[in-house]
Amino acid sequence: MSRIPRAIIDEMVAHAREDLPNEACGMVHAKDGMPVAVHRVKNDAASPYRYEMNPPQVMRLEMGRDASGESLFAIYHSHVGSPARPSPTDVRTAFFGAEVGTDLLFPGSMYILVSLASEPPDVRAFWIRPAGEVVEEPIEIT
Amino acid sequence: MAVTVNVTSVIQKVVNGQRAFASEGGTLGALIENIERDYPGFAGQIMDDGGEIRRFVNVYLNDEDVRYLGGKATPLKDGDTVSFLPALAGGL
Repeated sequence: MSRIPRAIIDEMVAHAREDLPNEACGMVHAKDGMPVAVHRVKNDAASPYRYEMNPPQVMRLEMGRDASGESLFAIYHSHVGSPARPSPTDVRTAFFGAEVGTDLLFPGSMYILVSLASEPPDVRAFWIRPAGEVVEEPIEIT
Repeated sequence: MAVTVNVTSVIQKVVNGQRAFASEGGTLGALIENIERDYPGFAGQIMDDGGEIRRFVNVYLNDEDVRYLGGKATPLKDGDTVSFLPALAGGL
């Protein structure tokens, strides 16, 4: 069970809505294990069906974490018309080279999906395991 | 040319866990060769078997994607920053 403040959930949902019709993506940073900030990242793919996080922004966020001592709590993106669950492509691309079984890019971070297919939007968190298994992490909104 | 190299995520494993370090090269290709000399295995992370930059690896010169510059022939100058990072992507 992971605790996520309501403001963090609301910010991810707001981002997902604002970027319609395309998928939105970004990173949630944590301090001492508690989510503290949502960082929107530009979706270079600008597509309703896929996302590609803008690499310079990703690099700056990673350096920011080094400087602040924050951690990468989760990588989030929206699904505009499908359920809040990682797609087969989402699972593949969690691995280096988009190949299940290679190194996970961020083994210590969850993947949060924001689905706009329902109202209110559905927000769920998942771990992608080294063999590609998807395991939902229950979340408690605080 | 003396450049700063940034790496993220799993690519750090082959450069002793460093986020940033100094290296040199007159072109991107020469830089990758120099890094490979210092950290064997690096080039294999970045390039495919045909010697091209892997599809799921992004290489940026300062804030520009080298795919839209000159690829491995992209010239470097003193003070440049070259970043290597896995693509962070997904899709329906």
